[in-house]
Amino acid sequence: MKKKVTKLFGIVAACVLSMSMLMGCGTGAATDAPASTEAGSETTDAGKTVKIGVLVADVSGEEAQGFRSYYENYVAANYNVEFDYTDALQSAEEEKSAIEKFASQGCDAIISLSSSDRAMQIETCEDYGVYYAIASGVLDDEQYETYKGYEYFVGQVGPSNETEFMAGKAMGEYFKNQGVSSVAMYGAFIPNPMHVYRAAGVIAGLGDTYGGTDDMGAIVGQIFEDQGVDISKVEGDVNLVAYLQGYGDTTTDELNAAIQKNPEAFISVGMATTFFTQPLNEAGIPFSDIDSFTSMNGSAIKEGKLCYLAGKYSSSIGPTFALVMNAVNGNVIRDSEGNAVSFSQNYLVATDGDTFDTYFVSDNGDAPIYDKETLDSIIGEDVTYDDLAALISSK
Amino acid sequence: MSTSKRIIGTLAIPVIAIVIMEILCLGHGQHIIANSKSFDNFVVYTAIVMITTIALSINLNSGRFDFSLGSMAALSAVIGAKITYALLQGGTGSAPLMLLLTVLAGIILGLISGGLYVILRIPPIITSLGVALIYEGILYTITSGKYVMAEVQNASLSKFVGTWVYAAIVIVVVLAFVIIVFDHTRFGFEYNALRNGQKVAVNTGIEEVGNAVICYAICGGLMGLVGFFNAARNTNINGGLLNFGSIAIMFTAFLPMFIGSYIGRFCNEKIGFLLAAITMSALNSTFAVFSNEVTASVQSIINAVLLVAFLIYLNNEKLLVKILSPKNK
Repeated sequence: MKKKVTKLFGIVAACVLSMSMLMGCGTGAATDAPASTEAGSETTDAGKTVKIGVLVADVSGEEAQGFRSYYENYVAANYNVEFDYTDALQSAEEEKSAIEKFASQGCDAIISLSSSDRAMQIETCEDYGVYYAIASGVLDDEQYETYKGYEYFVGQVGPSNETEFMAGKAMGEYFKNQGVSSVAMYGAFIPNPMHVYRAAGVIAGLGDTYGGTDDMGAIVGQIFEDQGVDISKVEGDVNLVAYLQGYGDTTTDELNAAIQKNPEAFISVGMATTFFTQPLNEAGIPFSDIDSFTSMNGSAIKEGKLCYLAGKYSSSIGPTFALVMNAVNGNVIRDSEGNAVSFSQNYLVATDGDTFDTYFVSDNGDAPIYDKETLDSIIGEDVTYDDLAALISSK
Repeated sequence: MSTSKRIIGTLAIPVIAIVIMEILCLGHGQHIIANSKSFDNFVVYTAIVMITTIALSINLNSGRFDFSLGSMAALSAVIGAKITYALLQGGTGSAPLMLLLTVLAGIILGLISGGLYVILRIPPIITSLGVALIYEGILYTITSGKYVMAEVQNASLSKFVGTWVYAAIVIVVVLAFVIIVFDHTRFGFEYNALRNGQKVAVNTGIEEVGNAVICYAICGGLMGLVGFFNAARNTNINGGLLNFGSIAIMFTAFLPMFIGSYIGRFCNEKIGFLLAAITMSALNSTFAVFSNEVTASVQSIINAVLLVAFLIYLNNEKLLVKILSPKNK
């Protein structure tokens, strides 16, 4: 190797480091330009078009695309509303910057599907006087108690943390009942709270303990502290042979390492069908996921090795839209104590193609479960908390 | 240099490294190559690292640092994947068609990059930074910043990287191609002349511009291959690689490039790159064995430490020889 090449490399490395530091001073591109993805060319209601900003962390996943399609292709076509989506938000700073952009662009409300720092999201919306609601998830209890009285926080609709835990637990129990003795696990985007609760549930469902306990609160607390699942803390009859989380340059290598350990099943707490279906099918390893009822997941369960899917349906974010529409139109719905509303939604489970089709067909394209007729029953100046509660609990 | 010294020099690093890694793995109750799946991954990873290393070295050896290699890989893969999917919808024959289209797209992207370099006549490092940003921007525009998945998730692509056979064939073809082109053609002789003394070579009548453009085109084609392998292996292509996010694809090749160049003192440099890639792949397989103990971030640190250690060795090699030589004892 010539010395000039090594010297050149040294200079280049210095340049790269300098550029990296300079780039780090700015905010990410994701927040600099919220994607202008408005739809709603066809509107049915007269009056001012309502502008809703949507915060998203995931732009590629099956569930995320199903949600987006419902808002942009169905809701926007049936109501006088525009949806502006962000690019993939990866940090609290990006979320804050995106809210500020939306506020400056005159958005009437913000719906959050991004959870890096929801407390900060609520406070920022409060500062800018923009209505805010959480879709497909909830705050933890302590945060909800803190923010439920905020003027512009209209509410949250999604699986509660206990529901997330129970969904993970049911998935773990499914494999334990199948007689599986070794599993690999994908923790998705821990420390995202919903993924933490699901992972804790899986460990409990497998009949294992984490740090010597199978109590939900204790496991969750430890996973938050560890910022992931520490495999050495898992003990029990079902052996956790490999664990991975996140998605990046090293994920394929981590997945290959997990496959090489020959697990009898691969349990994911989110997005495995998006990222890993093909390699897991190729390796012949049965896998499970908590995601949504979409066509790709249908193929995975009918033709591939996906054997358990706990899912939401794409229009399950309909009530959140109704909440913000009501608020923007002057009917800010509150619970009996005058606080922001909080509704929990359950998961549907499919372990075969027929069951999958039952849920998929009933929430598809032009005929979603939360269709216009259903949404109209919870959008209006006379709609009350009880109306919302009754409808959501019936779905 | 004697034949025995050449053989020892050629095999020393990979053999010593693999023996150490195998001992470590045995201490953990496993082998570097644990099973057939592990071997498949080993060969595919070797192909990716070797091809990236060769692509990086072609221009770097001539003093042209090319930051756009990673963006070429990602963009050419997206172009190849989109066209292939439009034609075959993920059906039979997707892998060979995408391979062909991705390499062609890579060659065109390389030609554009090289063309800009010779037209603008500004330092290649600056040009390549600009090209990387442009290609990343195009990539982002085509994909809307999303992962490209449906286009690369099919049985044809899975089978291509699900066995060691195709990757081994690609390794042999690429090695034969670069050895013939760079060591046995007029273009190769001129490339080596320019590499060893640009001014003298140009004064003897060698056409530097044409040579540089062809180098960029070859690099583009090779990175197209890398893009294809990455897409098939990861079952997606990240469309959100902005602000030099694609550079990581190229940086994996630095350590094997320096190791390969060192081995190249004793044999053909391209064979050196293959042996370096095998060494890196063995390291990757060792990390797989220790995946529960050594996290991905720690693996990155280990790779960086190895790179720095090897650079320190290269920069102080003569001093070390002087200190260790018998005359000084």
